[in-house]
Amino acid sequence: MSFFLILRLSALLLWLGAGALIFCSVGESAFCVWFGASLGIVCWFLIDYRAIVATLRWLYRLQEDPQLAPPPLRGFWLELIVSFQRPLRQQIRRAKEAENNLKNLQAALQASPNGVIVLDEKNCIEWFNQTASRHLGLKPIRDIAQPIPHLLRSPEFSDYLNNRDFDKPLELQSPASTPARPLKLSIQVCAYASDRRLMLTEDITLQQQTEIMRRDFVANASHEIRTPLTVLIGFIETLQTLPQDESQQKYYLAMMERQAKRMQSLVSDLLTLSRLENSPPPDFQTWNSVRVLLDHCETDARVLSQTLTQNMDALPHKISFPADIPANAALAGSEKELFSLFTNLVFNAVRYTPPGGNIEISWTSPPKGGALFSVKDSGQGIPAEHIPRLTERFYRVDRSRSHETGGTGLGLSIVKHILIRHNATLSIESAPGHGACFTVQFPARHYRATSPDVDSAL
Amino acid sequence: MNDKHLSSQFDSDLNDVCSRLMEMGGLVEAQLQRSVSALEKYSLDIIEEVIRVEEKVDALEVEIDHELTAVIARRQPAARDLRLLLAISKITTNLERTGDEAHKIAKRVRSIMKRDGARNIPISDLRVASDLAVNLIQRALDAFVRLDVAAAIDVFKEDDLIDREFKGFTRKLITYMMEDPRTISSSLDLLSIAKAVERVGDHAKNIAEFIIYIVKGTDVRHSSLAHIESVVE
Repeated sequence: MSFFLILRLSALLLWLGAGALIFCSVGESAFCVWFGASLGIVCWFLIDYRAIVATLRWLYRLQEDPQLAPPPLRGFWLELIVSFQRPLRQQIRRAKEAENNLKNLQAALQASPNGVIVLDEKNCIEWFNQTASRHLGLKPIRDIAQPIPHLLRSPEFSDYLNNRDFDKPLELQSPASTPARPLKLSIQVCAYASDRRLMLTEDITLQQQTEIMRRDFVANASHEIRTPLTVLIGFIETLQTLPQDESQQKYYLAMMERQAKRMQSLVSDLLTLSRLENSPPPDFQTWNSVRVLLDHCETDARVLSQTLTQNMDALPHKISFPADIPANAALAGSEKELFSLFTNLVFNAVRYTPPGGNIEISWTSPPKGGALFSVKDSGQGIPAEHIPRLTERFYRVDRSRSHETGGTGLGLSIVKHILIRHNATLSIESAPGHGACFTVQFPARHYRATSPDVDSAL
Repeated sequence: MNDKHLSSQFDSDLNDVCSRLMEMGGLVEAQLQRSVSALEKYSLDIIEEVIRVEEKVDALEVEIDHELTAVIARRQPAARDLRLLLAISKITTNLERTGDEAHKIAKRVRSIMKRDGARNIPISDLRVASDLAVNLIQRALDAFVRLDVAAAIDVFKEDDLIDREFKGFTRKLITYMMEDPRTISSSLDLLSIAKAVERVGDHAKNIAEFIIYIVKGTDVRHSSLAHIESVVE
């Protein structure tokens, strides 16, 4: 430091001396010498002042542009600038980095599928992401600094927040929930950093609906199994306690057989479903002739139609199968499953169409590729509100008439699983009184209308 | 409520009172929701719950009034703070009455259940109005928390919807009663439920009026919607 002191003092003396010397030569009076010396000091001061201004201006501008070149100064000023420059630039860089990190962190929290709300010591909102604002109906920016219990006023939530027992999440109806669009939330509060809190919200509406569906399924399945069992037990008791002649016995046994068979088909359908769910995807290297599949299906459908209508002494259905299927048309996948898919759809049509009604099966290949299999019946049709739920297990449009036709209530669920496994889609068009049309669309890669070259070469 | 005062103790006093009011609001909201679902599901458990909470709401009303007196005496507030405290006192009264209406609905549902009637009267029309009323109270309290004048005016407008539903439902009940005199006693119960729902809408409207009073400093009670909108402009 003393080096700079000497340097600055000598500069001052130099200016002072130079001023005095120059004015010495003008007039040799003491006044001239004094005047010259003071003028020298003023000049020195002005030059120094310029350096101060340049340095200060540079320092101010450095905040905005850390790469700004320092003013061209030397000596003491250069040293000053250099000593400022390095730490200042570092500090600015660190601040920028911290800002970036914060931004990235916020973006990460913003991208979270769960709602995230940061609360301070007084449970006031410090920050929240978009999902949270959707879940709780918070208004971005406006609701910052608002205490969360003021906006989420449910007594359960304030108990949860006040009890400070955050082990388990809280399930809550969202304030943004409407009767048309219910929104159920699972809210988890985590305490951190002494007395601050992080609140996570998760939409569990769908989970809850699934839970309800599962409960319905169990209830329906037990009901479906119990009904034939009750009938069976009733007959057994009758046979055991009351004396019967042979014809009556035969009659009862036939009834028992029917109930037992119904249970058997129910159990086998349930097994089919669980097999479809748990087995590996079908082998798409195997090609199955569409003609063969539909021929078998036709035979079975006519037999079913005859047995159903014979019992009622009515005319069988008018079933028409397509005659123009290309000889080489083939579908990739499991033969057993595809057959079950076709028969399920056709049998449903037979069951739900009154005797003598029309059932029209068609096979077309649209120009876009793939194939369309459709079953059109002239039955009573399905009201629109039931269509989305038709493929649910045991879902019945009309509970009263479900048993008379002998279905298990699982057919369309099986169809749905087979479709998923074969990458196919099902569309249902129907209106009450106008029959129904079930159309299955197979993707192009699983269907071929002409035999591949390899086959023809053989 | 975010503007800071010189005395931070005053701020925290105001905040405490607001928190109490919101706690009460939450209880009343839940009470109302429960009584509406009791109407839907005919469940005795829910009704008992509504009646049990009633005492808690009453106790909170007294407590808030006591706190308000203490704050006014100690701090001698002026301008907006005074308006806020006065409005809180009025809102408390309105909330307490809303709770009473919920209580009333629950009791009426119970008497319908005891008679095992009303099955042949469509209560779905009443559900629309009651869902609206629950939603309106919730939105009025949200508007109070945010001191959101625009939301308060929306509450105002929607109260008319409830009034219209109420009139329509009354007409419908009259036709039912004329058709079959056996439904009269259940119909009368339903009528008082509908009336309670309509009153809840009015309480929500009153709360909305006090929000405009706090923010704009103008008392807009008993004035038309056009006048209120001009005040807010």
